[in-house]
Amino acid sequence: MNAFALAPLVLGLPILGVLFNGFVGRRFVEADRSVGEKWSGWAASIMALSAFVIVVLLYFSLQANGHHAEIVPMMDWISIPSANFHIPWAMQIDTLSVTMMLVVTGVGSLIHIYAIGYMHGDPNFSRFFTYLNLFLFFMLILVSGNNYLMLFVGWEGVGLCSFLLIGFWFDRTNEKGEAMNANAARKAFVANRVGDLAMILAMSLTFWTFGTLNFEPVFDSAVEMFHSGAMVHFGAFSASLGGVLTAITALFLVGATGKSAQIPLLVWLPDAMAGPTPVSALIHAATMVTSGIYLIVRSNVLFEIVRESHALVLGVISSPDLVALVGALTAVYAGLIAFTQFDIKKVLAYSTVSQLGFMIAAVGMGAYVAGMFHLITHAFFKALLFMGSGSVIHGMEHGHHHISHGHGHDNHHDHFDPQDMRTMGGLRHHMPTTFWTYLVGSLALAGIVPLAGFWSKDEILAHASANSGGINTVVYILLTIAAFCTAFYMARQVKMVFFGEPRHKAAEHAHESPRTMTMPLVILAILAILGGLLNFPHFGAEAEAAHGAETAVVAAGEHAAEVESAGGLNLALEHWLEHSIASFHLTEEGVVEMPHTPTTLQIPVATISSVLAIAAIAIAYFLVYGSRPKTADERDPLQATPIWWMAVLPLNTLYMGYIVPAFNRLAEWAAHTLDWAFWHDFVHDNIIRNIFVGFANFASNVLDAQGVDGIVNGSGSVARWLANQIRRSQTGYARNYALSVFLGTVVLLAYFLFMAR
Amino acid sequence: MTVPVEWYVALSAILFSIGALGVLLRRNAIIIFMSVELMLNAANLLFVAFSRYLGDLDGQVLVFFVITVAAAEVAVGLALIVVIFRTKQSINIDEINLMKG
Repeated sequence: MNAFALAPLVLGLPILGVLFNGFVGRRFVEADRSVGEKWSGWAASIMALSAFVIVVLLYFSLQANGHHAEIVPMMDWISIPSANFHIPWAMQIDTLSVTMMLVVTGVGSLIHIYAIGYMHGDPNFSRFFTYLNLFLFFMLILVSGNNYLMLFVGWEGVGLCSFLLIGFWFDRTNEKGEAMNANAARKAFVANRVGDLAMILAMSLTFWTFGTLNFEPVFDSAVEMFHSGAMVHFGAFSASLGGVLTAITALFLVGATGKSAQIPLLVWLPDAMAGPTPVSALIHAATMVTSGIYLIVRSNVLFEIVRESHALVLGVISSPDLVALVGALTAVYAGLIAFTQFDIKKVLAYSTVSQLGFMIAAVGMGAYVAGMFHLITHAFFKALLFMGSGSVIHGMEHGHHHISHGHGHDNHHDHFDPQDMRTMGGLRHHMPTTFWTYLVGSLALAGIVPLAGFWSKDEILAHASANSGGINTVVYILLTIAAFCTAFYMARQVKMVFFGEPRHKAAEHAHESPRTMTMPLVILAILAILGGLLNFPHFGAEAEAAHGAETAVVAAGEHAAEVESAGGLNLALEHWLEHSIASFHLTEEGVVEMPHTPTTLQIPVATISSVLAIAAIAIAYFLVYGSRPKTADERDPLQATPIWWMAVLPLNTLYMGYIVPAFNRLAEWAAHTLDWAFWHDFVHDNIIRNIFVGFANFASNVLDAQGVDGIVNGSGSVARWLANQIRRSQTGYARNYALSVFLGTVVLLAYFLFMAR
Repeated sequence: MTVPVEWYVALSAILFSIGALGVLLRRNAIIIFMSVELMLNAANLLFVAFSRYLGDLDGQVLVFFVITVAAAEVAVGLALIVVIFRTKQSINIDEINLMKG
C-alpha cells in the first residue's frame, strides 16, 4: 500500500485554492467581512494542510518501499521524436523532494494560518491567499519535478509569485511619494532575471551535452561519461566532460545566487521585506530562497564530478569551491550588514542572506546533508522569527492606532514606522507569547546548545574543519566569523525590541496578537527546539565505530537501511537523504568517495562556536546595548565603529548606481531606438507604410489610370482611329463605288466558280 | 450554217467588258449611262443566245423584262442627269461627290 498515486494532488490542491480564492473568495469577503475572511483564509490554509497530509503519506510510502525513488508521470509535455527530446510532466518522489515538500507544505500551512490573523482587515484579503496558494503550487512543482525544465517552471513561477507578493501593497508610497513596494518587487524580479538567464544557459548546455533534461538520465550518463572519460562534442569542437560540467555548475551557481540571494545578486532580498510579513516568512526565509540550495543538492552528481575532475572556472577555482566561497563570503558580508539595520525585518532579511550563505557554503563543500539539515532548521526558526516580527509589527501598529485615536489628535501624518526597532523596547511585558517564541528562535539562530540551529550549523562547521585544507579552511574561518555575527545581531535585536523601556507610546500600548498568529509561533518554536533531533550526531568514539562499520557495509554494497536501526534517531536525516544524495559513489576502483561529514559531535568545533555565540550575545546584550538606547532618536552605539561602514558597502550602490541606470538606459534605448525609432518609425512608417502607400499609388496611378482607364479609352480611340481610316474609303466618287461593286462581283464570281465547286 | 454559241458568249463578254470599263473610267454621266445600257444588252444577248441554244423560251421572256426595266431606268436616270445639270451646270460625275463620308 503506497500513496504515490496521490502525489499529483499535492499540486492540485493549491491550484484548487487558487481557483477558489481567485474567483469566488473576493465575493465572500465583500459580502461579509468576518465570515468571508474565515472562508477565504481557511480554504487556502486547508488546501496547504491537505497537501501536507498527502506529503506525509508520501513520506511513509517511501519508507515502506525502501526509500526507492518513485516517478509519478502525469502527462507528456514536450515530445519531439525526431530530436529524441521528451520532457514528461512527472513528479519525482524521492527522499530529497519529499523533504523539501514537507518543509514547504508544513511551514507553509502554519504561515497560511498565521496570515489569516495578520491580513485581517486588508481590502485585498482573498487576493493575498490566491497568491499564497499559487506560490505553494509553483514551489511544489520546483521541488517535485523530475527534470530541469519542470524545476525551471517552478523556478520562474515562484519568482512571479515573489514579485506579486512583494508588491502586494503596490499602491503604498513612502514619505517622498515613491512607490517603494512596487519598486522593491521590480528590483527582485530584475535581479532574479540575471540568475534565470544563467539557468536557461545551464539547461541548454545540459541538453546539448546529455540530450535530455530528466534528472536520472542526466546523472547516469554523466557518471558513465566520467568513468569512460568520454569527450563532449558540440558540432565541430569538443570539450572535456569536466570543462562542460564546470560551465553548467557555474551557471547553476549564478542561478542560485539570484534565487537564494547570494553575492552578487543579494540586493533584492532586503528590499523584498516591503511585502507582507507572512510573505517574508514563507517565501523569503523558509522556502523560495532555499531553491538555490535545492538545485545544487539535486545536481550533486554534477558538482561531485567537477570536484573529481579538477576542472577550474577560468583556471582559478573549481566550481564547487566557488560555490562554497560565495556562500561563506555572503554569510559574513550579510551578517555584518545586519549589525547596522534598524528595521526589524531588514535585520532578519540580512540574517536570512547570511544563513543561506551557510547552506550554499555547505553544499559547495559537498556537505549536502548538512546543507539540507540547516535548510530545514532554518525554515523552522527563521519562519518563526519573521512571524514573530510580524506579530511585533502588528502589535506596534495597533498600539499606534490606539494612541492616535485615544488622544484625539491627528497623528496619521507623522509617518510612524512600526518596523523601526528604535521605537520599540520593553515589549516582553505586552506580548509574552511573541517574546518567548522569538527568544527561542533567536537562540536557535544564534546556535545556542540544545536548539535546532546549533546542530545544523555545527554540522556545517564540523564538515569544513574535518575536511580542512584548501578552500575549506577559508570557509571554516569565514563561517565561524559569520556565526559570531549571527549571535551578535540577534542579541542586539532582541534587546532593542523586547527589553529595556518602551521608546515610543505605540510600544507602550502594543498588545498580543490573536491566536491564529500566536499558535503557529508556538508550533514553530517547538520545532525550533526539537529540530536538532532530525540529524542528531553520535557522541564519542564508540558510536563512530558503529558508523564506521556501517560505511563498511555500504562499501560492501549492502543496503544501509539494515544498519539504520542500530543508529536509532541519530543521523536520521542523513540516512533518509542518502537515498537521494549519497546513492551514487563516484568511485574509481572504490577509492574516491563523497566528501565525508563527521558523524560524531566535533567537540572542539562545537566549543569554539558555542563560546563565540555566547560571547557575542554577552557583548551585544551587556556591553554595547547594556543600557542604551533609551530614546528613539539616540544613536546606535555601534554607529561610531567601522562595522557601521558595512551598511554602505558597494553592492547596493552598485545596483542603484550602475545596474539600475544601465538597465534604465537599456530600457530607454529599447523603447526609443529599438521600439520607436526602429519598429515604429522605420518598420511601421518606412517599410510597412511605404510599401502600402507605394502599392496604393501603383494601383491608383498605374493600374487604374493606365490599365482600366486605358482599356476603356483605348477601345474608344481605337474605334475612332479605325473609323478615320475607314472613312477615307468613302470618297464620294461614284466610280470608286462602282469599282468596289465590280470587284466584289468578280470576287464572288471567282468564289462560286473556283471554290464552291 | 449557224453561228456557234461560243461566239455569242465571246461577243457578250466583250460588250460587257466595254460597258464595265466605260462605267469605271468615264466621267461623263451620259456616257456612263450608255455603258450601263451596253452591259445590260450584253446580258440580253447572252440570254437570247442560250435560249436559242437550249431551245428554251424562258431566257427570251427574261430579256423583255430587262428591256422594260432598262427603259424605266433610262427615264429616271436621264431625268436625274437633267436635274443635276441644272443645279451644277455640269454632268461630270467627279463633281458630284456629296456622298463623301
